Amino acid sequence: MTTTISFILNGDRISYEIKDHWTLLHLLREEMGLIGTKEGCGNGECGACTVIVDKLAVNSCLYLAVDADGKTVDTIEGLASTDGTLHPLQQSFVDNGGIQCGFCSPGMIMSSKALLDSNPNATEDEVKHALAGNICRCTGYVQILESVEAAKKHMSGGGQS
Amino acid sequence: MKEFTYLTPTTVEEAVSLYGQHSETAKYMAGGTDVIVKLKEGWMEPDYLISLKKIEELSELRKNDATGDLTIGATVTHAVLEKSIMIQKEYPIIHDAVSNIGSLQVRNVGTIGGNLINAVPSADGAIPMIALDGISLIQGPAGERSVAVKDLFIEPYKTVLKPGEILKKITIPAQAPRTGSAYIKFGRRAAMELPLIGIGVLLSLEEDLETCAKARIVLGVAGPTPMRAYEAEKLLAGQRITEDILRQAGEKAADESKVRDSVRGSAWHRKEMIRVQVRRMGLKCMDIIRNNR
Amino acid sequence: MNLKELNVVGKRIPKLDAAKKAMGRAEYIQDIKLPGMVYGKILYSRYAHANIVKMDTSRARALPGVLCVLTGDDVPKKMRMGFYKDNPPLKKGKVCSFRDEVAAVAAISPEIAKTALDMIEIQYEELPGIFDPEKAMEPDSPLVHDYHKTNVLNLPWKLHYGDVEKAEKESAFVVEERFTTQWVSHCCLGTSGAIALFDSSNNLTIYTNTQIPSLAQKDFLESLKAMGLENKRARVIKPIIGGGFGSKLDTYAYEHIAILLAHACRRPVKILFDRVEEFKAISTRQPTVIYIKQGCDKNGKLTFRDMRMVLDNGAYTSWGATTPSVMMMPITSLYRVENVRYEAKCVYTNNTYSQAMRGYGNPQATFAIESTIDMLAQKAGIDRVEMRRINRNQPGDLTPQGFKISSCGLSECIDAVEKEMDIKGPREKGVGFGIASLIHVGGGARIYKSDGCGAILKMDDYGKVDIFTGGTDMGQGLDNITAQIVAEELGLLVEDINVVHSDTDVCPWDVGAHASRSTFVAGNAALGAAKKVKAVILEEAAKTFGVSPDQIVMKARNIFVPGDAEKTMPIDKLLRKVHFSPQGKMLMADYFYDPDNENMGKDMKGNMSVTYAFGAHGVKVRVDEETGKVEVLDYVAAHDVGRAINPLLLEGQVYGGVVMGLGYALTEEVVTRDGKNMNPNFRDYKLFTAKDAVRIKAPVVETYDEYGPFGAKGIGEPGCVPTAPAVANAIYDAVGVRITTLPITPEKVLAALKEKKKRPLN
Repeated sequence: MTTTISFILNGDRISYEIKDHWTLLHLLREEMGLIGTKEGCGNGECGACTVIVDKLAVNSCLYLAVDADGKTVDTIEGLASTDGTLHPLQQSFVDNGGIQCGFCSPGMIMSSKALLDSNPNATEDEVKHALAGNICRCTGYVQILESVEAAKKHMSGGGQS
Repeated sequence: MKEFTYLTPTTVEEAVSLYGQHSETAKYMAGGTDVIVKLKEGWMEPDYLISLKKIEELSELRKNDATGDLTIGATVTHAVLEKSIMIQKEYPIIHDAVSNIGSLQVRNVGTIGGNLINAVPSADGAIPMIALDGISLIQGPAGERSVAVKDLFIEPYKTVLKPGEILKKITIPAQAPRTGSAYIKFGRRAAMELPLIGIGVLLSLEEDLETCAKARIVLGVAGPTPMRAYEAEKLLAGQRITEDILRQAGEKAADESKVRDSVRGSAWHRKEMIRVQVRRMGLKCMDIIRNNR
Repeated sequence: MNLKELNVVGKRIPKLDAAKKAMGRAEYIQDIKLPGMVYGKILYSRYAHANIVKMDTSRARALPGVLCVLTGDDVPKKMRMGFYKDNPPLKKGKVCSFRDEVAAVAAISPEIAKTALDMIEIQYEELPGIFDPEKAMEPDSPLVHDYHKTNVLNLPWKLHYGDVEKAEKESAFVVEERFTTQWVSHCCLGTSGAIALFDSSNNLTIYTNTQIPSLAQKDFLESLKAMGLENKRARVIKPIIGGGFGSKLDTYAYEHIAILLAHACRRPVKILFDRVEEFKAISTRQPTVIYIKQGCDKNGKLTFRDMRMVLDNGAYTSWGATTPSVMMMPITSLYRVENVRYEAKCVYTNNTYSQAMRGYGNPQATFAIESTIDMLAQKAGIDRVEMRRINRNQPGDLTPQGFKISSCGLSECIDAVEKEMDIKGPREKGVGFGIASLIHVGGGARIYKSDGCGAILKMDDYGKVDIFTGGTDMGQGLDNITAQIVAEELGLLVEDINVVHSDTDVCPWDVGAHASRSTFVAGNAALGAAKKVKAVILEEAAKTFGVSPDQIVMKARNIFVPGDAEKTMPIDKLLRKVHFSPQGKMLMADYFYDPDNENMGKDMKGNMSVTYAFGAHGVKVRVDEETGKVEVLDYVAAHDVGRAINPLLLEGQVYGGVVMGLGYALTEEVVTRDGKNMNPNFRDYKLFTAKDAVRIKAPVVETYDEYGPFGAKGIGEPGCVPTAPAVANAIYDAVGVRITTLPITPEKVLAALKEKKKRPLN
């Protein structure tokens, strides 16, 4: 069956006719062409498809699009400013080597954002706990954790630009 | 994934009635983190998916200060439990268990009810509920009934719920004073584990802070369903809790377990871990009790 | 070594495509849709070993939306993959492993293609399978391929230098052990996929994840030829690659099947793996059974090393079967040892087959070598760090296999580990330290007929450079390395350099992104092209300034004569001047760099690489003696890198390599039961998570290699080479048990501890 859902996507109010069985990932990638959200496993075990729904990080591969109705959805495409300025987390991942092949990066950044938005002073253990569901094969996580730490300092006004 | 129609009742009655209309062609879904995997794999192919997400009463998390009862609605997410300061303080065993289920992304959506109803042998969520003598409240076409969480499971992926029945909530009766509880999920890595073994221990002490008033030892992945190690619990009841007696309880629990070899690990190692971790969790309970004084 | 500070080389410049990736704008194979594109899916065998008795595809063909169904009958006879040519993309008559492709479908949607697969009916007759490579060598073993007459492959992996038997007799101390290593998977986060399409003249374009665009092109051309399409073109386009690690070093059935489907249905056909397929149908690291003996004299000097291996080849042959060629490197040349013997047999089984994976055999061999070095040191009563110092490689060495060690910082690496970690100091109960060293190719690796890479460089009127390289970036950062080298040489900034590495129509030949060779070989190619252009610029500037070219400097976008304020101009201005003059010139250059290394001779001797990378790793672990669980507390990975072109990315390679190595050591394994992959998912295939992340220090030793671009050597693989033995040695140090099979699970450690308790004290 089809249903028309209304939701806020990256700040824009959207109405979209969807099929009930679509996942949010399918809606974003295949229907709307927002390719930044990645599918790494399809089963909620890698975190590449992480988006933020009503301030919570979720696996969009395990989230029905129909459940986004009335909610606020943020994807990686919504992070940078319209003038192209990267979000501090994006910039920090770039500057600190948090990105190699890049396939896990959008999900990793979205998980980090959900964490820092709710807990701006997250400790390293809290960061690790929050990112445990985002698998990365390239970096060994070292520079990812450094990226989040640097972004945290920057976002709380404590670091250099 | 096969197409289906998504239904969003706002009351339990409505949900049950919708199920009545569509019977076998319908399935309930709470958070969906297990159900959507099953839909994708084709293990489940409903025409109607009845969502429980919009039923407000199911998402209640409340401690009744008068009775001391804790009510956990079936669609309370793992993350809500994990973040609850009250749970962290008073029910550490719940916190221990839910904070390591899957990833944060899964815990933000996945529910305690869904975890129980999925009925995998490793169900992290079930262990604390059993240790805390939780009672599940079930509602279906024939009305309401209560079942102890320990009696909820029949075999892997199968519970006592009849077609059309919904798990509404779990009630945890007031805990005795001087109670400590702890859970450990033992696996190769620090997160995203299906555990090799899961062990929950709860101890309540007499006023002397030494004698065991009540003990619960609950094992996950130690058999087809989450199980209590009754003999080990008996061994502790009324006794002075020492490291030695906890060691004996670990031995007993290991003997009682029905561990098997699987691709995830061998039976002997699972037994060893029960031996070791029952003792360690018991000691952790003692620490908690002493620190809470 | 204190190296001269440079302007661009040596700087921590973020990865050039990182912003695009951070914004979600990078296009991977997952993200590409072409007009008219349809979707292919592959049906795999239901048995490890069986005859295909009957196959009925009629229901699948009749399904609306299905464009084409192919089986082994549709594959031209000469279409065979792998260097042993034993693997048709779709199998006919018989299946020899669970990953055997038996049919393929193209349909207008992935869902319809999947439904169609379910409608293909196949009747199998199961045959006895063989899953143990040592048993597969026995005369009465079932044969995987009847035509091959034996399960043992005909490969030349054998060497003997010096006299091992004599040396053994003369040794003061000898140790002997058997080790085994497991299948592990690359686990690229971006799953594999390809899109094939033909133009009206039957020229092929294929978008595919590959680390070997030029050799893949050759494979595809061979397939076209087998299909009767001779003298056609094959264009290979690489989208952004979501991880490589060696997995994309050979072509796979899915690529050739995409070609067959696209040809059959005249539409672009996309095949994209799901995670389960990625685990089951992408070739693993080569597993091994290793027998090793090493000896030393009374002073700890190594006297001989004697190794024999049995490699489970699986049912078909890919690069896994050639890993002994690289295993020989540590076997003959890690530490000074004159008498060396090695033999490896690759044996067909009904298991999955293996491929290249970061380190290419080196981690397996080094696990056995470095574990037994500790055993030998203990037996000889020599400190294990000293044991390594005594036998360390040194600059100028010629190893028994004929490797010419040009620069060598092994000694400094061992020092660096000791500096960062108190290996000899006191420790708490259950805590231990381990150390292990490595040698790896750092200046190319001549495995193929050519080890070369081409580069084409052009400059525009605005001082911007496009460089077309044969090299491949798959996340490791070759784009940066290329850009930094070119920018350094031409006095430009890194943002002035556009690196194009994605298309065989415009990029020159390269043997592939493997063997830690890209920085060295592709870097030298880029440098060569830049030098040619620079020579012309200097010549033109010399005319303008009226000085000789050697007086001129190019730096920070300017060209000038130092000390003469009159003689300076922006580089782009000079470029325009040169272009817009009579008989004007646009600056371009090409360069093909083929390193001066040697193919191995019949005796396996030859200087495989122009230079070698060295390293030493130290690890501190805590072992829970009641559970067997090993916790990594600290890690130091020191490497001799020649020169760090980009320390930020270099550290990323080391960290990533070390954690991959730690997974190899402790948690990762493809679990199989009679050839069937039992854990094809991230839940049961246990990669480290962020919560398992380890503190790692990565001291860099710069020895400046005279052959490397700006002194650099390759460093892509070493991070995961000595990790497992370092961990195993640390566990022994902590609790006194020697684990000889990977991965070192809590179960194995606990079993060994229990066994140890049973043994009477001697």
